[in-house]
Amino acid sequence: MATPEMRVQAKMERVPPRGERKPGTLRRQATLRLLAAERSVEIYPVLLEEIVALGFPRGLTLGIDFETGEVAPSAALNCTRKFQQQFRTSLYAAEDPIVGVVHSEEPAVLPGIGAEGHSLYVHPIVYRNRNLCWEADRDHRTDCLAIENYRRTRKLQLQDQVCSICDMRAYAAVVLVDLTGNETERDMMDLRALIEIANRYLSRIFRTEHHYNRMTDMEITIRQMQTVMQSMADPVILTDAHHRVIMQNKAAERFFKLPEEVSEGRVRAVELNNLLFSAALSSMAVSGTETSRDLTLVDAIEGEEMLFEAVCAPTYSREGLRTGMVTVMRDVTDLRRADEEVRANLEKLRAAEEVVRQDRDRLNLIIENVGDPIVVSDRAAKVVLQDPLAHELFGAEAENDEVRDPIRVRNQAKLDAYLTTFTFSFSDRESGPLRLFHPISRTEIEYDARSGKIYDERGQVAFCVTVLRDLTALRKVEQLKVERRMLEIEKFAATGRLAGTIAHEVNNPMEAIKNAIYLLSDKLTGEASPIYDILKNETERVARIVRQMLGLYRNTDQIGTVDVNSVIEDTVLLFSRQLERNGIRMNTELSKLPPAVGSADQLRQVLSNLVVNAKDSMQEGGRLTVRTKHLPAPDGIHGWIRVLIADTGSGIPENLLLSIFEPFVTTKGEKGTGLGLWIVKGIIENHAGRIRVRSKPGRGTVFKIDLPVVR
Amino acid sequence: MKRASPKPRILVVDDEPSVLATYRMILQQKGYDPVAAISSAEARGVIERERLDLLLCDLSLEEKNTGFEVIEYARRIQPSLPSVLLTGYATKDIAEKAAQNRIVVLFKPIDIEEFLTTIAAQLRSGHEQQQAQEESRGGKSAIVS
Repeated sequence: MATPEMRVQAKMERVPPRGERKPGTLRRQATLRLLAAERSVEIYPVLLEEIVALGFPRGLTLGIDFETGEVAPSAALNCTRKFQQQFRTSLYAAEDPIVGVVHSEEPAVLPGIGAEGHSLYVHPIVYRNRNLCWEADRDHRTDCLAIENYRRTRKLQLQDQVCSICDMRAYAAVVLVDLTGNETERDMMDLRALIEIANRYLSRIFRTEHHYNRMTDMEITIRQMQTVMQSMADPVILTDAHHRVIMQNKAAERFFKLPEEVSEGRVRAVELNNLLFSAALSSMAVSGTETSRDLTLVDAIEGEEMLFEAVCAPTYSREGLRTGMVTVMRDVTDLRRADEEVRANLEKLRAAEEVVRQDRDRLNLIIENVGDPIVVSDRAAKVVLQDPLAHELFGAEAENDEVRDPIRVRNQAKLDAYLTTFTFSFSDRESGPLRLFHPISRTEIEYDARSGKIYDERGQVAFCVTVLRDLTALRKVEQLKVERRMLEIEKFAATGRLAGTIAHEVNNPMEAIKNAIYLLSDKLTGEASPIYDILKNETERVARIVRQMLGLYRNTDQIGTVDVNSVIEDTVLLFSRQLERNGIRMNTELSKLPPAVGSADQLRQVLSNLVVNAKDSMQEGGRLTVRTKHLPAPDGIHGWIRVLIADTGSGIPENLLLSIFEPFVTTKGEKGTGLGLWIVKGIIENHAGRIRVRSKPGRGTVFKIDLPVVR
Repeated sequence: MKRASPKPRILVVDDEPSVLATYRMILQQKGYDPVAAISSAEARGVIERERLDLLLCDLSLEEKNTGFEVIEYARRIQPSLPSVLLTGYATKDIAEKAAQNRIVVLFKPIDIEEFLTTIAAQLRSGHEQQQAQEESRGGKSAIVS
């Protein structure tokens, strides 16, 4: 491109008139001047000067920009700015004659468009050369753009002027020379030759410049690559074919380059690292297939051992020869550590899972072996889980209702009603009876449904667990217990009968003995008197025992359910006269009671023994209280009937309190047999009851009797 | 004229000879005029033959005969005859049945004091009843005479 200075310089040159010049010298001189140009831009001004030197009045060059398609003046000599600017055009302006000439790539004379109506010589030039470019020469190719343009073997559009070998984009320009009309054929030939020579030099310079530009580009690329390499956190090492380090980044230097201040240990570490590295490279190069391997290196600065994964990629020359290796090392120390941690955690997780699994299995085993139907329902009281036993009772929800056993449907309805009540109640736990039909045995089974709620973290009901306890077995045991108790009572009654029979047999001779002793009382001599007294007292004692035993003989009634309250009422009525006579106020508080099982007569005997005892302890009168109460058991199945008999009599001395229920222990001295409470205790125990006594001498005595309730 | 009061005639019935003997001796000692019978048949004979002031009878006699039958039999002849049933079987049934028939029951073994006071009381009530009957009869005759 021509600069203004160039133009000024050119103007200062003295140009000899056309007639004076010698063609050969001029041409040689011009060639030398063009050859002296070092840069492509210097060519145009020199060319224009030489054209003027040939005797042409003026000339200018137009540069073509392939990027924009712009055609604009690049250098001019003896041209006004206005003259120059009129040639400004575009490659795509097809109607412009100059553009037409450019596309034809052949010089032409265009009449009438020069200065002052002169013709204009238009000479397009484009990159062309007789010699191959270096790359084409090296690759032994002939499709170099320079040659192609020179030989015109392939006609390229100006826009596509790019070398397929070296990627070089061609230049194109137009030289315009104003003709005066006086030019000879020879002048024109000189002009043409001059321009062609200039173009040849221009092509050479341009090619050199192209290579220079490429070199500059490469340098930039190398710098960029180096920056990339250095900025990588992982060590990157470039080695040659002999595994010698050509280049390495800072991260690699840490391991393979000796630091400024070196300790012996570090030197050894670096040496060892290098040794290990080249060994790894060698083995990978030999194997050919291996592209990565683990490498333990010692950090020369920190002295820390680190584990790397070295990934190698060979580098090849243009000819396909291996020139070396690029090795990128990835620090996998943390990765491995993390990996190990993950592995350990996984192990822990597996162990925990195993524990959970075992727990679940154990729980399942327990549930399967509970032997009671278990049902789990959700917050909507819908059954979500049931064990095989429950399944037997209710069937599966998923089953087709048509084939579902009606008994199961009915069971399900009962269960649903129960579950709904429980789920939406406020209680955490509940138990209640549930009568279901067994689908196989077709019998009614009484279940005790026990339910509990499981809450989620928000405190809302998540699930309800219901266990159904089959009460059949329990009832059977209960029945057995009752039967056994009845047997005991029966046995006691039988014993009583035996005792009664014996007593009755003893009774008659006793009667005679007693009467005889009475008859003798008048006929005694003084000495016999104490003997008589012994005889009389002991006989009376035997009489009392017999009387007591005769009492047992009365127990001949049937064993069955007994209304304790009516037994009490009977007994109280029987003794009311005697009590009244002794100044004893009677106080009965009877509450509603469930029936007891046993012998009414035996219980009557218990009552009368206790009432008689109470009466005997209240010689000065007092108050006798009989109270009954039902004590229900928490499970709702069993319970107790409590009978309380309290007097305000003389009480039982402390030393007798413990042995009061033993036979022949009495507080009545000679008058008692010591059998009453013993019999009471025997009867109560036979009825599976319990009796307790509390007494304070001078204050009174309280007997508490509990009899079991059987539902 | 004060009528000479004879010893009260008491029939004692018991199938146990020794018991019967001791009852008879006690009654004699106490100044009564007892007559003893060992069986219901013998008792019936006495009842048919004699006028009695009191009947003491054991409940269980020989075979299936009971004291109730003997008392019943005696009352067919002497409707207001005071009777005491002696028994070792202290059952409610017996007590009720006795009460219905105005029969006093003493349970064996019998306390002799109670035995004697019961006899005295029964004799007195029987005597009063008889006097009342006689007075009403005498009253009628007085009106007639």
